[in-house]
Amino acid sequence: MSNKMSRRKFLKVVAGSGVLGFGVMASGCKGKPSGGDGWVSSQYEGKGNFPVNLKGRVAISATNPSIERDDEKCILCGQCVDACKNVMGVYGNYPLPLKQEIACVGCGQCVMQCPSGAITEKSHVRKVLDALDDDTKHVVVQTAPATKVSLGEEFGMPQGTSVGKKMAGALKAAGFDSVFDTCFAADLTIMEEASEFVHRLTKKKDEIPHLTSCCPGWVKYCEYFYPELMHNLSTCKSPQNMLGATIKSFYAEKMGIDPSNIVNVSIMPCTAKKFEVGREELEVDGQQDMDYVLTTRELAVLLKHKGIDLNTVAEAEYDSVLGESTGAGRIFGATGGVTEAAVRTAYYLATGSNPPADLLDWKPVRGMQSVKEAVAGIPGVGTVNIAVCHGLENARQLLDGIKTAGSSKWQFIEFMACPGGCIGGGGQPKSMDAVEAKKKRIEAIYKEDTGATKRCSHDNAEIQSIYKDFFGKPLSEKAEKYLHTTFVNRHDRLFD
Amino acid sequence: MAVLVDITKCIGCEGCTVACKRYNNLNFKAKPRNVKDDDNVELDDNRWTVIQEFHGEKNDKLRFVKKQCLHCKEPACASACFSKAIQKDEKTGAVVYYPDLCVGCRYCLVACPYSIPKYQWNEQFPQVSKCQMCSERVSKGDAPACVSACTTGALMSGDRDELLKKAHEIINSDSRYINHVYGEHEVGGAEWLYISDVPFEELGFKDVSNVPVTSYTKSYLSKVPGLAACWALFLSGIAFYNYRVDKNRKSHDDDDQDKEG
Ligand code: SF4
Ligand code: SF4
Ligand code: SF4
Ligand code: SF4
Ligand code: SF4
Repeated sequence: MSNKMSRRKFLKVVAGSGVLGFGVMASGCKGKPSGGDGWVSSQYEGKGNFPVNLKGRVAISATNPSIERDDEKCILCGQCVDACKNVMGVYGNYPLPLKQEIACVGCGQCVMQCPSGAITEKSHVRKVLDALDDDTKHVVVQTAPATKVSLGEEFGMPQGTSVGKKMAGALKAAGFDSVFDTCFAADLTIMEEASEFVHRLTKKKDEIPHLTSCCPGWVKYCEYFYPELMHNLSTCKSPQNMLGATIKSFYAEKMGIDPSNIVNVSIMPCTAKKFEVGREELEVDGQQDMDYVLTTRELAVLLKHKGIDLNTVAEAEYDSVLGESTGAGRIFGATGGVTEAAVRTAYYLATGSNPPADLLDWKPVRGMQSVKEAVAGIPGVGTVNIAVCHGLENARQLLDGIKTAGSSKWQFIEFMACPGGCIGGGGQPKSMDAVEAKKKRIEAIYKEDTGATKRCSHDNAEIQSIYKDFFGKPLSEKAEKYLHTTFVNRHDRLFD
Repeated sequence: MAVLVDITKCIGCEGCTVACKRYNNLNFKAKPRNVKDDDNVELDDNRWTVIQEFHGEKNDKLRFVKKQCLHCKEPACASACFSKAIQKDEKTGAVVYYPDLCVGCRYCLVACPYSIPKYQWNEQFPQVSKCQMCSERVSKGDAPACVSACTTGALMSGDRDELLKKAHEIINSDSRYINHVYGEHEVGGAEWLYISDVPFEELGFKDVSNVPVTSYTKSYLSKVPGLAACWALFLSGIAFYNYRVDKNRKSHDDDDQDKEG
């Protein structure tokens, strides 16, 4: 290689090029100017002012905790701008010049839309592998509901295959010390959030409409663009962080493990979760609830790296204490799921009995329509008007509508950043037909719900016992400490 | 042809740098040669343009500055080059480098008041490298690749006089702007013009004189005989050889880059 060039050869080369140069100069011919021998995508050819819809690309800060980009793969197609602007309502929705930061809610929709694979999640795979190899660490993993109906795609299975038990088996084979279910924490979230909602409805009307807060992409969006609505956000942490906090407190205590030796990993359909785990407001006693987040795609990479094939791996059950889940917890992964689950338990909290059959198969909040509206009649509480919204550009339009009207006709609004909810998250397997994939994943999720023996969060026996043994009751002091959080006004970082 | 950079409109997407690398077939894998204390990457032979990031004193003015050759009206680099490997193209205004004419003396690197030209230290037939203002595109009437890739309005190309007029209009209509078009008069003026709401010296711009550097160099350089060229050749040979020896002594850290470079 060039490094090994001998002195003689080098001098020859230099002399040769010099002589050539003088020759060319003497002949009066300039030769070709340097540069210009590559290519640019067609929309930048010519004057670059062709009327094309898609141009440019989103800005990604080097400090972005969720996503990164490999410039070599970027073809400047503008798909990421389309996702960020038209689907997520982020790009272009803040004034220039910039103030403190490049606005990004970490949703990862640009990742999903990037055709060349230039944008990816910021990988935690290496860190998780290192933690697994470290004998002093107790590595706990949890899996989000939406990953159970999508991970199979990374191993060639048909879209909408439910692989929860196989995933649990694969994670055990990969060396995780305990495998817990985020669906359990979704049930926990519902216990807290339904209680909070009923409390707000009856006693704290200024915090109505109640806005869900389990989606970190949406929460950051609210902090950026609608800080005046922050007090309407549910103070509940997301299921991921509720479980993380519970693992480092209740579980650590029960098992006699020093929480600082626990490494909490989650398998998430989401890139915004990588931002969420670093939020200071979520810390309890100076300790982060969660350590690493692997997207569904990253888990596939990790398993393949370890030679584990999901097709052939033995199924396993989730570990006990934090592993039981109900149908309500499982539907969190689809748009409308949180609402449906919350209404089931709110009904119970208000009436003392389980909801009627139609609330267990609540069609108006299901499906891909951008804003869904529903009315729930809860005896003792009255009728509750509900809206379900996914895709943050839709959220913008809905919230601007509320602002213009001066009040909300809904008392409860669910927001999910990603289209379709977490099943369409920015960490999910990519597919040639994203619309079909989402449909199939949603079907699979509702099938898991109808197939569950228990359909309501409050029926979860492990939930009942954790309240008995540890948290006391929903919204107790201890529950507030571990399971609730605060928010940060990020408006000033973008606006004057 | 000129380009007006409105720093207030840049979002730091670096689409322009990607367009430049693609169009000029530069190496995406090459590690940056020069990273400054503030983490900003400097130009090098595979980075003809870079975006540098600044935060303002109170961390409330995030600004990105596109850096590349300014294409001086009186280019010091060209006048330092006795071999005429850098020439000011009269039609486009681009200061163009012709590798076939270059003897490798690197006078241009020293002469440029902005330290723009860089050297291909890793090549067997090293060339000087710098932004060419996409002279071949521009001579066809097209926008430079970087300009056409910018969707925020931070980069505008066009006739220099018209852009200057526009620049002053923008400054006059919006009190946030600093009343200074960088490149209008700097070392005799340049084709690339910048407007900003943050003082230029806070954004890494050099405070240079309005007198063209060429007024000092032109007179004697035109008389430098061919002997100087031989001397330069000799010096460059020694310098490059020493560089090589030095480099070979170093660990294998840079090996990858060398192969790809
Ligand atoms: S992650 Fe979401 S908010 Fe961030 S750049 Fe991508 S699409 Fe935009
Ligand atoms: S979608 Fe991907 S390839 Fe297209 S411009 Fe954005 S980063 Fe580049
Ligand atoms: S900026 Fe430097 S390299 Fe560019 S034309 Fe001026 S003197 Fe030459
Ligand atoms: S004008 Fe052309 S060569 Fe110069 S920075 Fe822009 S794209 Fe690169
Ligand atoms: S393409 Fe335009 S907005 Fe993006 S970094 Fe370059 S100059 Fe700034």
